[in-house]
Amino acid sequence: MTVSGLPELMTVLACAVLVIGLSAHLLVADLFRRIISLNVASGGVMMLLLVLAVRGPGDQDPDPVPQALVLTGIVIMAAVTGLALALARRVEDPADEDDRDEETP
Amino acid sequence: MMPLLDLILAGTVLVTAVLAVLAPRRDAAASAFLIFGVLLALLWARLEAPDIALAEAALGGGVAGALLVDALHSRRPPQPQAASSWAARITGAAAGAALLAALLIGVRAVPQARAPLAEEAYARIPVSGVEHPVTAVLLNYRSYDTLLEIAVLAVAALGAAALAQGHRPVVRSRPAVRGLALVLLPVLLLLAAWLLVAGTSQPGGAFQAGALLGAALVIAHLAGIGLARPQGLAGLAWTLAGLLSFLALAAGTAVFGAGWLVLDPAWAPGAILAIEAILAVSIGAGLALIFLSNSASLQQNGPAGEPGRAAEAEPPAGAPS
Amino acid sequence: MSGLVPGLLPGLLPVPVFLPLIAAALAALLPARARAWLGLATVACTAVVVTAITAGVAGLPGRGSGEDALSLALAGWEAPVGIVLRADALSAVLLLLTSVVGLVVSVHALAAGRDADALPSMSSLYGGPAFWPLWLALFAALNGVYVTGDLFNAYVMLELLTLAAVSLVALGGRAGNGAAAAALRYLFVAVVGSLLFLMAVALVYAEAGTLDLPLAAERIGPGPLLHVALALALVGLAAKFALFPLHSWLPVAHPAAPAAVSALLSGLVIKAALFLLWRLWGILGPVAEPVVLQGLGLAAGAAGSIAVLWGSFMALRRRRLKPIIAYSTVAQVGYLVLLLPLTAGPVGADAFGAGEGSGPGWTGGVVLVLAHGLAKAGMFLAAGNLALAYRGDRLRGLGGAVTHMPLTVATIGLAGVSLAGLPPSLGFAAKWQLLTSALAGGQWWWVPVLLLGGLLTVAYTALMVRATFNQPGGPDAEPPARRLPRTLVLGPFVLAAGSVLLGVAPAGLLEFLGSGTGDVTAGAGDAPGAAGDVPPSGAAGGDGS
Repeated sequence: MTVSGLPELMTVLACAVLVIGLSAHLLVADLFRRIISLNVASGGVMMLLLVLAVRGPGDQDPDPVPQALVLTGIVIMAAVTGLALALARRVEDPADEDDRDEETP
Repeated sequence: MMPLLDLILAGTVLVTAVLAVLAPRRDAAASAFLIFGVLLALLWARLEAPDIALAEAALGGGVAGALLVDALHSRRPPQPQAASSWAARITGAAAGAALLAALLIGVRAVPQARAPLAEEAYARIPVSGVEHPVTAVLLNYRSYDTLLEIAVLAVAALGAAALAQGHRPVVRSRPAVRGLALVLLPVLLLLAAWLLVAGTSQPGGAFQAGALLGAALVIAHLAGIGLARPQGLAGLAWTLAGLLSFLALAAGTAVFGAGWLVLDPAWAPGAILAIEAILAVSIGAGLALIFLSNSASLQQNGPAGEPGRAAEAEPPAGAPS
Repeated sequence: MSGLVPGLLPGLLPVPVFLPLIAAALAALLPARARAWLGLATVACTAVVVTAITAGVAGLPGRGSGEDALSLALAGWEAPVGIVLRADALSAVLLLLTSVVGLVVSVHALAAGRDADALPSMSSLYGGPAFWPLWLALFAALNGVYVTGDLFNAYVMLELLTLAAVSLVALGGRAGNGAAAAALRYLFVAVVGSLLFLMAVALVYAEAGTLDLPLAAERIGPGPLLHVALALALVGLAAKFALFPLHSWLPVAHPAAPAAVSALLSGLVIKAALFLLWRLWGILGPVAEPVVLQGLGLAAGAAGSIAVLWGSFMALRRRRLKPIIAYSTVAQVGYLVLLLPLTAGPVGADAFGAGEGSGPGWTGGVVLVLAHGLAKAGMFLAAGNLALAYRGDRLRGLGGAVTHMPLTVATIGLAGVSLAGLPPSLGFAAKWQLLTSALAGGQWWWVPVLLLGGLLTVAYTALMVRATFNQPGGPDAEPPARRLPRTLVLGPFVLAAGSVLLGVAPAGLLEFLGSGTGDVTAGAGDAPGAAGDVPPSGAAGGDGS
């Protein structure tokens, strides 16, 4: 990172993206868009972690630990998104109606 | 890179984030999100994280693509949004502002020096079995987390399969797509294999390879290539193979080795590559299973199975009795 | 040299995580009957291992000498490079609770599944064959939270827990899509909480340069970064255990799930997030500015007090069993969070945990978790039985249950006794500790909350029990539509009875928890019980940077 000031910019950006994502997620009603907002928010957290990896003088190699954490986080978020989509689809297009009329015990 | 370019990149990331969350129509939101993902990948590359850039491009792009397809195929037109009450909006805005303020306060105090942990991580690479530091962290130092992450993916696949309730998409043959797929698939597979092997010494590895593999499976399925059917027992077995292998490694090292997940430098390189290979296949199968469980083709087919598949004994793991 | 033999006990720490995970993966590939037996066997074996771990922890010298936890460095790497597992008294109690409740629920599901051939709706008690792999994964995740000493590992465990729990909720309510909406709502809240928690973890790493919790406590200093991280973690985790005002997902999700799943959710899953919050509080709390901590504690306590009153009030207004029990959980969570202000010390004190309120505060909270876990799980299972027998859990439709299903009604009654904190139940022992703590620590304002909450709990328990009486002046009610096998009835009764009877002689438990000082800031001891070390980096708790 040869430009000082860039990490600070990125950390502020990370916080902004997280807040944008979370706020939208809580305020929007459409399930699908809420899923998108959640992914945006997680992008913000990843951004912060990656900035933490490149702190310090520009000639150093990046810290591999936060990078590994982000990789894990991206996979987890993909899994979560997949399940959320499957649920959202069930909510909006329910499967064939069951003929049982009782409630779940 | 010039600082000006960085500023522009940061700015466009912010703008696309706002667009992605504010766009009122689903397809617009999904498209904006796709661009957001691409820009993030660029940003990660700029932040000296090429592995993550690759993973973001593959996984994030794949996810966004799935969202886009879903949005376009959604039978339900976007409902007119029930206007949230003013009270809710004000509370939400206030909470968001408070969160932002708190975050900025916290983040200002972040020290500028890299964590000393980084040096310790680098120092141990020679005994870790790989040359690439991120791979060393993921598959040696913190292999426990990676094992659990695979479990997370497997559970999501199980949950999505349970929701699919035994419906299986009929494999349809579409010649045009099929032709394209036959060209694209070998390229994707080759790329995945290269990424996998390269991951030991360069950016790459199981996750990126797995994501590409998942994309390949989805494309194959959409093109009507019957071999790639992630649903059913076979798909689930491939998804779980990674988790089971990793657990077998753990148990093996505990009983016969020096401890849980302890990788002896003598055979660590081979073990890591083997695990990564299985993980890549499992990740690919798992992602395909999750995202195809709710593919649009499910909707049109109901419980009918493919002819000839009716003999398959076991419904997907999720079907209740 | 096998990694298990030297320091055998620390080597057992990963077993409660790995064993159920292997079983979960296998169960997904096996036919339905085999799954149930595999599941039960796994839970039973894990319970044995957990007992061994508890015995091991009990045998440790204790906090005085700094060796109060079993620890294991995974993959042969000590902190900060690797992940270290730790189990202390708090971990042990929660592991035991998880195994005991898990065992009963597994038997319940097995029994229900066996009869599902004759009576297909039995499978709606637990969700059908898909239940088993998901439950085993959930079990692994719970155990994983209780033995972890690493912050990011905690995050991954929480995500595993969430996905498994959400998938289990989605198994409920086959008519239409009701459970899917509830499950999605749960998923959303849980993921928001996880993201906030992950942000907190990132901040801690930023200053401490490590993800190992005790090590981080040594490397981090009081400052805005730590305070913001604690606040973020508090909010994020509070969303996951449904603390007011982030509670509204719970009364939707828990009733929508199959009964066995609701028992797991209210009895066990909630506790995991709470446990993590207590851990952070106990280990990072002493590092932060006392005034900030007291402020956060006060805020949490205030929210908890409102939760107690609001949850109980809403419970009284419900007309179906499961929502009443779900709102009861919202109320009980309010008590559990009182531990935060009680242990932070009196307002104005200049150090964390000053004063005499702190010790009983910790033990009271932990005992309450135990009592609540047992009681709530029993209550939900019993409610499920009633709903199955009477084709629904509407209060109006349960008339006569007390004569036809007396054990089941007794289960609800007993559980209510423990939740209300009436003597001699375990809940009473817990409340007694909390009351002592509040008075000794000069925070008397929590006392009316504790007492009033108890009264309200009696009220809504009575509401439920009364609904099962015969209609006054009318003919004797018809027997229920379905008869339930004994196994389904005995399990919940055992849980509820346990939550009452254990309170008769709680001394051993209290001593185990207190270990002399009652301050469960566990994991801060550096027991070098690690097995099979490859040359370590900075020893856990050893040198600084």
